[in-house]
Amino acid sequence: MSQFSLFLGKEWREQARSFKLVWVPLVFIFFGVLEPLTYHFLPQILDSVGNLPEGSDFTLPEMTGADVYASLTGQYQTIGLLVLVLAFMGSLSGERKSGTGTLLYVRPISYAAYYMSKWTAAVLLAVVSLWLGYGMAATYIVQLYDHVPAFSDMVLFLLVLAVWIGFVVTLTLTASSALPTGGAAGAALGILFIGMMIDSLVGTYWTWSPWKLQAYGLAFLTGSPDSGDLAGALVMTAVLAALLVLFGILQARRNAAKAKV
Amino acid sequence: MSFTEQLAEIPWGLIWPLIVIQLILMTAALIDLNRKRSTNGPVILWVFIIIFINTLGPVLYFTVGRRHS
Repeated sequence: MSQFSLFLGKEWREQARSFKLVWVPLVFIFFGVLEPLTYHFLPQILDSVGNLPEGSDFTLPEMTGADVYASLTGQYQTIGLLVLVLAFMGSLSGERKSGTGTLLYVRPISYAAYYMSKWTAAVLLAVVSLWLGYGMAATYIVQLYDHVPAFSDMVLFLLVLAVWIGFVVTLTLTASSALPTGGAAGAALGILFIGMMIDSLVGTYWTWSPWKLQAYGLAFLTGSPDSGDLAGALVMTAVLAALLVLFGILQARRNAAKAKV
Repeated sequence: MSFTEQLAEIPWGLIWPLIVIQLILMTAALIDLNRKRSTNGPVILWVFIIIFINTLGPVLYFTVGRRHS
C-alpha cells in the first residue's frame, strides 16, 4: 500500500510536468464550449461562410438540450477517445524506453502497485476531464436551449459515461504495458473503433457490450434505458476491465526485462 | 456597418472561454517546448504550428510533437 501511494505521487508529478493535467481537461472543456455554441449560432455561421445560392432557404431542426449532449458525446467518441489514447499510450512503454523503467525495475517493486498507480492517475484525469467538459457544456446549454435534461438524469448519464471512459483508459494502459508506444496506440484505437463498427453492425443483438454504454447513458437524457441491458453492459465492462488490468500487470512484469539501460 | 459596431455585435460573454482556453494551451505548449527543445521534426516548425493552428496546434504538439525520451 505504501508503494502504491509512493507510485501515485510519482504519477501525479509526471502528469503535472508533462502538462497533461492542463491540456487534457482543456481539450474536453473546449469541445464542451464549442458544441452548444456552434448549434446555437448555426444560422449566422451558414450566412457568413455559406456561399449559398441566392434565395436558398434551410429549415434547421430545433435542437433541444438532450440533442446537444448527444452531439457532444459523438465528438468525445471520436476526438475525445483519440486524445485519451494518445495521452496515455506511453504510460508504461515510454518508461521502458526512456530509462525511468530501469531505475524502477532493479528494485523489488510490486508490479500490481506499479500498474494500479498508473491506472488510478489516468482514470481520475480522464473522468474528471470528461465531467468538466460536460459541466462546461451544461452551463451553455442551460442558457441557450430549451428542454434541458433534469439534474438527476445528468448525474446518471455522467456515471455511465465514466465507466466507458474508464474502460477506454484501461485498454490503453494494458496495450502500453504489452506493446511499444506506437503499437499500443494502434492496438487501443483499433480495438476501440473496430468495436464501434461491430456495435453499429450487430449492436441490436449484442446488447451487453462496453461500446453500448454511451448509447445507454444518452438514453437517460431522453427517457430511461432498458435497465437489464444497462446492468449487463456494466457487468460485462467491469469484467473485461478487470481481465485487462490482470493482463496488464502480468505484461508489465514480463516486459520489465525489455527496459533499455 | 463599421468595424467597431461589428466588434460590439460579437457575443463576447459567450465566447471568451474559447479564447482563454486557446491562450492557456498555447502558453503551456510554448513553455514545454522551450524547456525540452527535443521534438519530432524541427523546433521552429512546432513553434509555428502551436501559434497559428487554433487549439489543434498545441494538442498536436503534446501528443505527437514531444519526443518521449
